[in-house]
Order: sequence, then C-alpha cells, then structure tokens
Amino acid sequence: MASNLSLNFGEPLQVQPPAARNPLARRDGLLERVVEQMEALREKPNSPITAIRRQPAREGKFADLPEAIDQRIKKVLAERGIIRLYSHQAEAFTRISGGENVVLVTPTASGKTLCYNLPVLNELLEDSHACALYLFPTKALSEDQLDEFQGLIEAAGSDVRAFTYDGDTPQDARRAIRRRANVVLTNPDMLHAGVLPHHTRWARFFENLRYIVIDELHTYRGVFGSHAANVLRRLKRICEFYGSQPRFICCSATIANPQELAEALIEKPVSPIDENGAPSGEKYFVFYNPPVVNRQLGIRRSYIAETRRIAQTFLDRGQQTLVFTNNRLATEILVRYLKDTYEQGPIPGSAIRGYRGGYLPRERREIERQLRDGEILGVVATNALELGIDIGSLDAVVLAGYPGSIASTWQRAGRAGRRDSLSMTVLTASSAPLDQYVVENPDYFFGASPEQAHINPDNLEILISHLKCAAFELPIQDGEKFGPHDTGELCKFLEEAGVLHHAGNAWHWTSESYPADAISLRKITSDNFVVVDITGEPRVIGQVDFNPALTTLHEKAIYLHEGKLFHVERFDYEERKAYVKSVDCDYYTDAIDYTRVKILETFDSAAMVGASAHHGDVRLNRQIVGFKKIKFYTNENVGAGKLSMPEQEMHTSAFWLHFPEEFLGRLSGYAPADKKNGLAGLGNVLRTIGSLLLMCDPRDLGVTMGSDRESGAGEFEPNVYLYDNYPGGIGQSEPLFRSRRTLVEKSKALLVACPCGVGCPSCVGPVGEVGEKAKEVALRLAGELIKEAEAVAEAQTPLSRSGL
Amino acid sequence: METDLSQQLKRLRRRVRRIERAKPRPLASPENRPNGFPKYIQDWPRAKPPPVHLIDDMPEGDPEHYDAEKLLDGEVFENDHGTYFLSERLYPSHQRHGSMEISHLAELPPEYLRGISRDEIPAVEPGRWAFLDTETTGLAGGTGTCAFLVGIGTIDEDGFRVRLFFMRDYDEEAAMLGAISEFLGGYEVLVTYNGKAYDSPLLETRYRLSRQKSPIERMHHLDLLHGARRLWKQRLESCRLVDLEYEILGVERQGDLPGELIPYYYFEYLKTRQAFRLVPLLHHNVIDIVSLACLTAVVLPAFDSPVEADLRHGADLLGLARWLRRNGEDETALELYRRAIGKHMSEDCLFSALWESAMLEKRRGNRETMVGLLSDVTEVRNAHQLSAFEELAKHYEHHEKNYRRALVMTDAAVAIDSSPELLHRKSRLGGKIERRRKAKAASELF
Repeated sequence: MASNLSLNFGEPLQVQPPAARNPLARRDGLLERVVEQMEALREKPNSPITAIRRQPAREGKFADLPEAIDQRIKKVLAERGIIRLYSHQAEAFTRISGGENVVLVTPTASGKTLCYNLPVLNELLEDSHACALYLFPTKALSEDQLDEFQGLIEAAGSDVRAFTYDGDTPQDARRAIRRRANVVLTNPDMLHAGVLPHHTRWARFFENLRYIVIDELHTYRGVFGSHAANVLRRLKRICEFYGSQPRFICCSATIANPQELAEALIEKPVSPIDENGAPSGEKYFVFYNPPVVNRQLGIRRSYIAETRRIAQTFLDRGQQTLVFTNNRLATEILVRYLKDTYEQGPIPGSAIRGYRGGYLPRERREIERQLRDGEILGVVATNALELGIDIGSLDAVVLAGYPGSIASTWQRAGRAGRRDSLSMTVLTASSAPLDQYVVENPDYFFGASPEQAHINPDNLEILISHLKCAAFELPIQDGEKFGPHDTGELCKFLEEAGVLHHAGNAWHWTSESYPADAISLRKITSDNFVVVDITGEPRVIGQVDFNPALTTLHEKAIYLHEGKLFHVERFDYEERKAYVKSVDCDYYTDAIDYTRVKILETFDSAAMVGASAHHGDVRLNRQIVGFKKIKFYTNENVGAGKLSMPEQEMHTSAFWLHFPEEFLGRLSGYAPADKKNGLAGLGNVLRTIGSLLLMCDPRDLGVTMGSDRESGAGEFEPNVYLYDNYPGGIGQSEPLFRSRRTLVEKSKALLVACPCGVGCPSCVGPVGEVGEKAKEVALRLAGELIKEAEAVAEAQTPLSRSGL
Repeated sequence: METDLSQQLKRLRRRVRRIERAKPRPLASPENRPNGFPKYIQDWPRAKPPPVHLIDDMPEGDPEHYDAEKLLDGEVFENDHGTYFLSERLYPSHQRHGSMEISHLAELPPEYLRGISRDEIPAVEPGRWAFLDTETTGLAGGTGTCAFLVGIGTIDEDGFRVRLFFMRDYDEEAAMLGAISEFLGGYEVLVTYNGKAYDSPLLETRYRLSRQKSPIERMHHLDLLHGARRLWKQRLESCRLVDLEYEILGVERQGDLPGELIPYYYFEYLKTRQAFRLVPLLHHNVIDIVSLACLTAVVLPAFDSPVEADLRHGADLLGLARWLRRNGEDETALELYRRAIGKHMSEDCLFSALWESAMLEKRRGNRETMVGLLSDVTEVRNAHQLSAFEELAKHYEHHEKNYRRALVMTDAAVAIDSSPELLHRKSRLGGKIERRRKAKAASELF
C-alpha cells in the first residue's frame, strides 16, 4: 500500500451546519487550501494527481439594452437588476430580430435562456397572435423552462400564454392548449408522434409560428439527431402548408462544430454566436488516477471509494458538491457510502441526495429546488443532471469515471463555477481503458477540441421512416423535395410496400396504420418496470427502463434506491413489475449475461491481408444467466446465483473481423487458448478505439466473439464483433467498416504505447480476465491485419483514407 | 447523393425480397413481427384481406365493367374541384327496416330534438335533418386518415333517401367534399353515431387539408351514441350501432363486411380498380345510415317524454331515470325508478334502482320511503348492501336516536367489511348506548 500517496488534504476545518450556511456567502480560503495541497501532492513521485489546470477568472463583457426591446421587458429586467446585457445576449437579440437563424454556443450559467426569451417575448408582445415553439430533449427541461418563461411574462404583465405539451399533459388540457397557446414547450418525440400527425388541430399555431427554439442542440447527435433532422423537415413542410416561415434559434453546449450541426439539422444557413460575455470566477480542473495497489495485475484502488474520499474533502469544508457517475449502480453506491460517512455528523444524512432517471418526477423536482436553495450539500447524479436543468452553480464537481466524451466532461464540469469565487472539478479515473487513457494523457483531453457532433439525416432507414410520416401528414406532391432529396423514387419504393398510392399529382398515404407510432426517435423501448416496495403498504418507489431492469431487478437482486437496499422478492416480467422489500445486508448484486450472435446479412466485405472485415445485420440473443453478490467496500465476491430469465433478442447492425484458420496459423507458437484470449483482447482494444473514432460512448458499442460456422468441425475461424448496442442498430457499423484500417492502426498504436507489462484494463483487459499472452497476441494480430496495408495505402486516394 | 440513395434503395429492395423469401407466411399480426426489426420492413409484406366473392357473376374480360359508374348504380358529377361519384338509394315509405316503418320517420315531431339535447337543438322539421356516416381508411386518426365514402340520409315524401358521396381515387376528394358541403347547405341538423368524437373531427381535418370551409360547424349536431348508451348500456353488452340494430330493430345483416376490413377493401380497389370490391362497402354504409335513422326514431321519443316512453325493459327505464336524476328532475326520475323496479330486470339493475331511488328520497326528505327502500337493498348480498346498512345506521343514530337499531345495522355492515370508520361508529354507538343506560338508571334512582 502506497499510503504516502493517499489523498489527504489535512484535517477538516470547522464546519458550519448546512442549515445555517448561506449558499451565496463566499467561503474564502477553503478551496484555495485544497488547491495548494493538491499542487503539493502533484509534485510527489508516482502521484495520483496527473494534471492540475487552472482557468483564470474572467471579466464580463457588457452591452446596452437594445432600443428595440419593449418597455415592459425593460422594466422587468430593471426590477431584476439587469440594466445591461452580456455582449452575447445583445448580439443574439440584434441578429434574431434582424431575421437570422442563429446558434448560440455559450457555457452553462451564461444567461443563454435570456438570449432566446428576449427576442421571442419581444415579438409576442408586439403581436398577440404570434406563436413560438420551444424544443427540449427532455420533459424535465420543458418544465424548468416553462417556469422561467412564465415568470418573465407574468412580471411583464403580458397575456402571452405558454404551456408544456408532452406525454404528461392531461388529455382534457390538450384541446385548450392547442386553441390558446402562444408558446408551446415540447420535445421532438412529442412533435413527431403527437403534434405533426394532427397538424390540422394546430392550424392557428402553425399559421402564426414565428420562432422555433432548439435548446441543448448538442444532444441531437447520432441517430437521435438524424431522426430530429427529419422531424424538422416535416415541421418545415407543415409550416409551408400554413404559410409561415419561422426562424430558428439553436443553443448548444460546447462542441467542435455547432454551426455545422445546426445547419445539418435545420438545413438552412445559421449564424454562430459564440463569444461569451458572462464573467466567471477562477476554476481548477484536476485529474486523479487512483493509486495502483497491485502492479503485477494492474489493479488500482476502487475509483468509487476514491470518489467518495474526494467528495468528502469538499463536503467536510461545507462546499456544495455534485458527484457525477456514469451509471445508476455507482450513483446508489456512492449515495450510500456518503450517507454512511456522515452518519455521525457533522452533516446530516439528509443533506446528501441521489439523482437519476429512475426517481419519480416529484422527487427530482424537490432535489433540484433543494440544490438551488442550498438546503442540500451533496448530490450524486447520473447524466440526468448534465443538461441545463436549473440547479444554480456549485463549488465543486467530482466526476466518478470519465463521462465518455470531451463535450460531456466539460458540460458536467460546467456545473461548478461561482461567478466571484474559486471552483473546482476533479475527474477520478476508473480502471476502464478509456478512463486510463484520458487521465494518463492529459493533453489528449485539454488539448483536443471537443467532439464533433455528426448526424446523418439521409440514412435511408431513417429517411424512409419519416417520409412515411410526411406522407401521412400531407400528400407528397410530384416533384416535391424532402430535405435535399427528390421523393419520386422513394415514394415508388413505398408504393411497392403498399403504403403509398399515386393519384392526381401526388402520393397519398394508403395504410390504416399511424406511422409515427412505429418510429421511436431514440431507439429505446418506452417499456419500463415499476418498482413496488412491499415492506409495508405497497407503494411505488421508482421506475426502471426495460434493459437495465433485467440486470437490476431480477429475482434475488439487491436494488438500491436513494442509498437504501431492497431485496427483489418477485420479478413479474409480464406485468412489468418488481416487488421489493427493504433489507439490511452488506452486499449488492451484479448480473452476469451471456450473448450469442447470428449474422443475418452481410452488406459489404473487404479482405484484410488474409483475414476479412464485414458489416451487416446481426441478431443477438442475450440472456441473464446469473448474478454475483459483491460486498460493499471490499468488493469481495461473496456468492452467486443462477437465474432463468427470458431471453432477449435484438436485431442490430455490426462490424466484424473474420479470422480464417490460415490467418491464425501465421501466429505460430501459441496455444489455441492464447489465440482466443488474444482475439478477446483485440476486441476490447477495438472497442476502445472504435468509440473514440465514432465519438460515442463505449457502452454504445458491444463487443463479442463467435463463429458463424454452424458445423466447423474442429476449425477455429472466429469473428470479433463490434455491434450497435441498440435495437435496430444506430448506423455505426458502416463508418467502422469504412475506417477499418485506421481502427486497427490506432488499436496497434494503443497496444504499443500502453506501459503495462502483459496487459491491463487500459488495453486488452486485466490479466486476470484475458490471460498473460493476450497483449502479445493482440499486438501480433493487429500487426498482421495491416501488414501489407502500408504498401496498399500508397495506391489509395486521399479521400478514402480520410474516413473518420 | 441521389445515385447513392438509388444504390441504397436497390440494396434495400434486395433485403426486403430476402426477408420475404425467408418468411413465406406474411407477418399477419403485430405479435408475429420480430422484435427490433427495422420498421419499414415490419410493414412489409402486408397482410392481404381475404378475396371478395360477393358477386359471383363478375363480368370478366371487359375492363369497362370495372368502372364504378358502370357497375354501381350511380353517376360521376363534376364541380369546381373536379369529379366525384354519387350513388343514390331510396327506402320507400311503405318499406320496413326491422321493426320500424320508414314512413314513421317523416312523422317525427320537430320538438323531439329538444328533449335529448336539453334544448341545445331547436325544433327542426325532420325534412331538414341529415343522417351522416363515413367510411374511412383507418381508425388511427390524424391527418393521414381519409373518409373515402360519406353517406348522407335524408327524409322526403318518397321515403328515406341515402346519397353516397364517393371518391374513386384520392384526387376526387376535394370535389367530393365540395359536393357534400353544397348538399348539406340545405339541412340544419346533423345526426351521427359517435360523430362528435369521430366523423366530425375527421371531416374538419379533411376540409382543412383541402382548404375548404367545413359545412359542419354551422349545423346542429345530434350524436345519437350518447342517448343510445344512456338507454341501453344497462342491459346490452355493446352499444355499437350494428348491435343495437340487431337488438332493438331486429335487423340481421346479410353478408356484411366487418368494419376493420373496410380500409383493405378500398385499398384493394385502388390497386385493382375492380369496382365489385366496392359493393359491400356501399351496402354497409347504406345500412348503417338507415339503422341510424330508425334508431333515432326510437331514442328521441323516450327522451322527449320519459314518463310516457314505451319501454318494456326495466333496465332502459333505469337508464332514463339516471339521465333525469343527473338533470335534477328528481320527481320524474323517481317515477321512472318506481316503474323500473316494477318491471323485469337483472338483479344488479334492480338493486341499483332501489339504492339510487332511496338516495333520491333521502335528498327529498322522504325518510320513511327511504328506510323502506334501503331495507329492501339489505335483504341479500349485492353491490349496495354495505352502503345500505351504513345509511340505515346513520339514519337510526342521527334521526331516530335509536342507538340499538343503529348498532344492529353497523354490526351487519362490519360483518361485510370491517373498515376503521365502521369500527369507530360501532364503538361510538356502544358509548352512546352505555351513557343512555346510565342516565336511565340514574333517573330511575332518583
């Protein structure tokens, strides 16, 4: 144990009880001392602190209130102490009022809401018929922004009417909203399935639609973004039918290409506004890699336990702290650990809360409010708190594990940041390969620009789905374009499928179905499980999405909610319910699953020096076969159980490498088991690099090994699959196929550069899992795959090499 | 880009064919569809409706005979929006539709509209009523559902005349809608079955999409479904038009088309242009409209003068009584309850009638009658037995101050369900009885 390296920032200082503290009061000196101690620790050999970066405080840039702003708004602003605007707010107002489509790129807490509320409200005050549509990626954000907007219009004494309209809106309220609303706050899913297919009921709204606000633009990436772009194509078509030409106001967190993304989404020119005029206090960003406890096996101290210790450092000093985890389980374990820690004081356990998707909405609203009001000191959250829900600014953020992307990391870090005092973010790396890479190569993170956000609205599957919806909404006229596409050939295809029919000069929807119902923008089943606590009177304590439910709510599982432990008594698959009872035990459970792959169709193949690369449709059969019992704190495996759960079948798309026997034969001197381990190790590396290339979360890609030969008498001709971890696929395998060479090259480079001996979690996986030869074999395999490729590459055009 | 898309489409076609080959049986029901399969493939291939062989002597070979206007009794008309097809059927006055004589329709008093609509619709001559029913391309709702056939029935001196406005293809919709508008111009009252929730919003949408003004907004709209439900839901499992037609009018349809197949028939017609496929559709629509008119003639008088209503079933009287009670017409409601109780009806209905009239009597202060009715309700196990015991307990405790009686009633209620409220009442009554006993003993002492 390298105890001299453990994090110890000195004795806790005198702590005020949270009830007495004023959240807005400056607590000078406390965080400054933490920084000093960290800097000292940084200097020690083998320090767990791999980077400390400082961002100096920045002065604000201001501009006068534009003349054109209505007197009533000026009065409200004055009442709130706003006599000038930040420069970006003023610029936004001028450009938007001037008729431009804009994309605003400014960090959290820079007053970006006002950037769109000002021009929108100003126009609504001028013209009482005018309407605006606000799109948010989640219902919670709509609720949040409604409060904000409502406050503004009430203070201005205006009769502008704003409503949220989503799945939670009661049926009897919907008609009134359609008839009366000036401003509708909704999400793309509702627009897609609940509004556009019924546009005639919204005729007044669409006729008068002036603005479309798209907040959290950066979330519209990948498949979700591609769907959203097509929903917007449909929206623009409907607006055209009603004779309106709304302008677009987009807001994005920091990504590499906000303008490009906005233009790809709305298919119109967009002006970027990215010069932030808001002031900010001094900020520190620290990378922390838990110390190695077993060098041979590459095992580090648990990042969860280290996160707890770091969070404690801040909490002990009365600093409001937000801990981000990457999954529900980690959230619950940390809530429990922290509550345990403060059982004896000085902070009441109630000042620590959890926050994640499975909590009931009411519970979440309460936590948000308590955070703003400073009633709670610490919150452990999943990415559910990453988006712009208003919780105010905090003193410290601790990231338990790398969030998976640069943009997302900055977004979470942005939650720390007082306007006039020091704030701090600490990233605690897990042993996951990606985490280790990031924290050991700080320049990769601090030097690189945030990820590009890409969408492919012309993905044929997605395009056709939405063209069906479009035809349902309004007949498609001959010669009409959908986005940039001629629709003729596509419509003919849909005629063959029996859903369109040509008559007069248009294609008409001729199916009894409602196409929007069959298309989910997020490729997530809306199915979920309800968790019923039957310790006393039965009561619902949470809801869990379908897939995580299978691994967290199976019979005999320990389900954690707000740090409390529940034993799952009965898992009712048919009724989608799990009955749990409160228990007191010292372990939690982790499900074991088993996956089989079958290739349904190969779209494309290419030889790779004796092996081959492919992409196509596959079917995955996944089954939860058992679970492990893991002891809190020590992470000891203290038991296991078998389960017979219903098998889950998923059709998706995959990229895979096929290794013929001959190819593997080139690796002489290795036992079959070594080769198998090497392939598994290579799979892990490919996934790491693949997720970096695709700019997706590693969890978006599944990796598995299998053989597509049914008989295979003695032959060992395995495939290594990287598949889209979403039903139906999300279009990631074709880009992987196209950049297969880069994928293997970078994987090889990672293996070469990895400082470990015979494999570690950062490359092929921990030795205990893949054996001692895995790294060596994986490196050989990667080398063989691109052996002659250098020579071939010369002959290739630069275009095909650019790829990803 | 376009060529790329074409390439992709080509590949998609190949995939679809492959999947078709792999699955020779069509994916008939949603349950059979593989999970997580791309949606555009789920819709392919489509379940085919069973072949239609209603007309055995279908003229073969001559495509002329395929034309709607040749095969069906009707004509193509033209207006500003284009052409549409119109067919007319007359049910002469002397004819019967089940138990109803068609001539009866013309004799319906105009004031009948007022009772059922609670005076929202004024008295209008039956000659200015239009009975409307649509056949649509689906039940999904939304802008992609189209009414391809709109039947309108009217009453004139010759009998009941149904006009079927039909679009032979989608490009005739605007003309068809225009013709309907023009025709409805001569009528004041629209009568439908579930039209307020279904046909009317659907037509509003169609008019808006073809940028025409809907004729419906201007008309008084009587949706017969609500009245029919009030009358008959107590004893009939289903109040669908086709079920009422059988149960109330005694009409048995021959070779009728199940409603859910209607879109398929129309789509098949669009594809093949074989007009014989339309015959069952038109037939179905005509019968719906005639039945709607005849049921209107049954429902309206009951709501016009409930007391004189010629209703043989106690359950129907119970339905009317409830309607009156809801409207605050307690006196009439009570009379109907009494008549209902005297007639044959199911036990459920009987006890409901007893219980509801007891509560009405209570509201009117007729305690004695109430006690009698409640006692009847407590006789045997039924849905209101517990409440009746509770009511009696309250009555004896608070009005008659007969605590022992009240305790007996409470005990009987507790035997059915020992809720905390009941147990509380029980102990309170015990206390009252005890205090009264002591007081009595004391008064005897002194």
